[in-house]
Amino acid sequence: MEDDLPTEYDVIVVGTGMTESIVAAAASRIGKKVLHLDSNEYYGGLWASFNFEGLQKWMEDCRKPAKSSQEGEVTASTKEVEKLIKAGNQFSTVFNIEEKWYIVEELAESEEGQSVSKITQTDGEEQGKGGGDVDDAKKAEDDETEKNEAEEKPDAGDGKDVVTSAPTKQWSQAKVKKEYRKFNLDLAPKLLFARGSLVELLISSNIARYAEFRSVTRVLTWLDGRLEPVPCSRADVFATHHVTVVEKRMLMKLLTMCMEYENSSKDFEGYEDKPFIEYLKSKKLTPNLLHYVLFAIAMATDATPCMEGVARTQRFLNSLGRYGNTPFLWPMYGSGEIPQCFCRLCAVFGGLYHLKRAAEALIVSEVDSKTTCQGIVSGGQRLETEHLVLGVGYAPPDFLQTAPPGGLSRGIFITDRSILPADKESLTLLQFPPVDGVSEPVTVIEVGPSTNACPPGMYVVHMTCKQQKTAREDLQAVVENLLHMEFSDGTVTRIDTDTQSTQTASPKKHSQDGEGGEEGEEEERKEKNDSVSALKPQVLWSLFFNCPETSECDLTANVPANVFLCSGPDLDLDFEFAVKQAKEIFTKMYPDSEFLPRAPDPEEIVLEGEEGTPGPTFEGDTGKPDAEGEDDENKTEAGNGEEDAGDQGNSEGAAAE
Amino acid sequence: MAKTYDYLFKLLLIGDSGVGKTCVLFRFSEDAFNTTFISTIGIDFKIRTIELDGKKIKLQIWDTAGQERFRTITTAYYRGAMGIMLVYDITNEKSFENIKNWIRNIEENASADVEKMLLGNKCELNEKRQVTKERGEQLAIEYGIKFMETSAKASIHVEEAFFTLARDIKTKMEKKLEASNPPKGGHQLKSFEPQRKPPSWLSRCSLL
Repeated sequence: MEDDLPTEYDVIVVGTGMTESIVAAAASRIGKKVLHLDSNEYYGGLWASFNFEGLQKWMEDCRKPAKSSQEGEVTASTKEVEKLIKAGNQFSTVFNIEEKWYIVEELAESEEGQSVSKITQTDGEEQGKGGGDVDDAKKAEDDETEKNEAEEKPDAGDGKDVVTSAPTKQWSQAKVKKEYRKFNLDLAPKLLFARGSLVELLISSNIARYAEFRSVTRVLTWLDGRLEPVPCSRADVFATHHVTVVEKRMLMKLLTMCMEYENSSKDFEGYEDKPFIEYLKSKKLTPNLLHYVLFAIAMATDATPCMEGVARTQRFLNSLGRYGNTPFLWPMYGSGEIPQCFCRLCAVFGGLYHLKRAAEALIVSEVDSKTTCQGIVSGGQRLETEHLVLGVGYAPPDFLQTAPPGGLSRGIFITDRSILPADKESLTLLQFPPVDGVSEPVTVIEVGPSTNACPPGMYVVHMTCKQQKTAREDLQAVVENLLHMEFSDGTVTRIDTDTQSTQTASPKKHSQDGEGGEEGEEEERKEKNDSVSALKPQVLWSLFFNCPETSECDLTANVPANVFLCSGPDLDLDFEFAVKQAKEIFTKMYPDSEFLPRAPDPEEIVLEGEEGTPGPTFEGDTGKPDAEGEDDENKTEAGNGEEDAGDQGNSEGAAAE
Repeated sequence: MAKTYDYLFKLLLIGDSGVGKTCVLFRFSEDAFNTTFISTIGIDFKIRTIELDGKKIKLQIWDTAGQERFRTITTAYYRGAMGIMLVYDITNEKSFENIKNWIRNIEENASADVEKMLLGNKCELNEKRQVTKERGEQLAIEYGIKFMETSAKASIHVEEAFFTLARDIKTKMEKKLEASNPPKGGHQLKSFEPQRKPPSWLSRCSLL
């Protein structure tokens, strides 16, 4: 295969992480000639999502010592004032990898497919009692299902729809591995705030068409030793049974206050320098409410300053009511899809892609004590560029003044049920507060099969927190609270429900309202009783690792002016940091150009021009050998609008809104 | 939102660079051809609505955006695809041999039940032919998929190829819809829904 690349570019981007990919797309979008490389054979770097096999391969790569080719001399033709600086090696940065299985390697023949669990004994009487619980959980979860609920209740009585099936599958390692393709496991699981900058960017740039999302169906918190749904919306607040009427009024008042902070700032007087919690306490909130607001809504800690707490509360509330019942969206097939969407746009506008291709070295010239990057050496080729964008993992060590101040502790768990089973599949966010032996707040995201995170019958739990010791040690306390992470050979039926007094029906199919996902794989209902521990999901497989958190690094200090470093995944819940960073980098490179203007929609263009004359379309094209030319604004038209002159007006009109 | 179609099928074009994927796409969607059209710059996907057995089927056909050149197609490209046209160039032996690699790639990334079809393009260039029609047929049989030789330039069989693929998808889909009888439990139906819903769902909200 001819692997020779053209040798001159406006922008070379090395690394396909989130920030890098956004910058690549933005540059390509305004007509710049972009080369986008990644030494891996997959997109996303530490932002990637893998199927089960891919993740195994990733771990192998991480454990390998730095590639020997990197140690050798890099040679390329350099000019007098130039020198070569070797690029960094990203894999040196993932450590403390611990992978473990908690199930047998293979099941004996006879056990294959056997359903081990006996789920429930229900009779009509208990049904009624159970009904109340159905209400609770569901309202807190999704008030849209309320209308369905009405239909369901009569069903619940007749015992026919009562949970009888729900064979809790017995899993073996072999079985999980066999389904490897059905997993999408995220190295850096991220949610999107429904009105956050990424959602806005996806829409305004028209990149939204490359991705699909599901809304997070519930936000939970850990309160008094158990999981509680957090009332997210006004409707939730009024529907929840966990909050008294008086509390409801207090909560609404407080949230309104935070939302209208600009108008009611005197209410916050004196708290500017105090923690948010002080302010909440001054409002005489009950402990429950204080917990909800501080930990679940503001996702703050005791130390969070008041104004930051208010801002965080606003951010949460602002994103409510756009999609679904919570302020959050989750990308289908995992977070790793999102960088790829930007790469696709970059490619559509002419960006050149090459994976499994590293930058061995940077070519740097020094004239009058001003260092400038001339290009890179890749595959022995000298590739010149005006700007170089580097994922932090590829940065020569000299460029980073100090080592990253902190790291991330990550845990990924494949489990056999939800941490809080509901009658339909949930997509859950839980901000585990620093209580009960947990020292740093831990972000827990649980995703199920309807997001393509895993095969039916399983869930994937992601945990992320600031690194203190090793990932396993940092997450241990939360794991113990939520999961059953001990070896299970399947002979002991660790099923809870026999001891329960009530069991509710969970009609299998009522999710035609879309949002919440496919029918719940989880047929059991969690009852509020003390057998909580027995209900904990069995962990089938776990992975812990640490990676650096580079969002706080100074990425400009020792770097030539035309080189831009991009952080890896940050601690935050969302992609906001990467979007902000990408925009800053783009603006430094092209201060006068628009950041990701709306890409014309092929669908629109075709619909408008369908009956048009295709002939002239191509004539225009032939006279344009300089399609990749300099005039930024015309790139769109050169690339896409050519079908029909009329389309230009159309797409521009849309872009201008 | 009034629907102007009964079904929406997402189709992909896959194959080596230069086999004429984009030309096939343009022949089908615009009934146009131009040889100066070299790379895939700026083309995302094309739409054409066809009618089969009285049903309006909107075909959304995605091009590779040149990302096939160094085998760097994003996994995201394969998401939700219901049909894939595997294209090689009958005047280029290598592009034919690579079909196997592309099929492996598809198996790795696309949904397991995606409909596939093999196209030997540029069949108007018979004098430069390197791959016989029989070999194309043989390979298709090996993978249990349909095969046609096409010419985007001379407009041979392009129309037929897409109609054939669309018909096969439609048949498969309707069979599944029937099989999962209780209308509510249509698992298949749901797997279609996200494809057209969420994107428009996002963009629709942009107007708010």
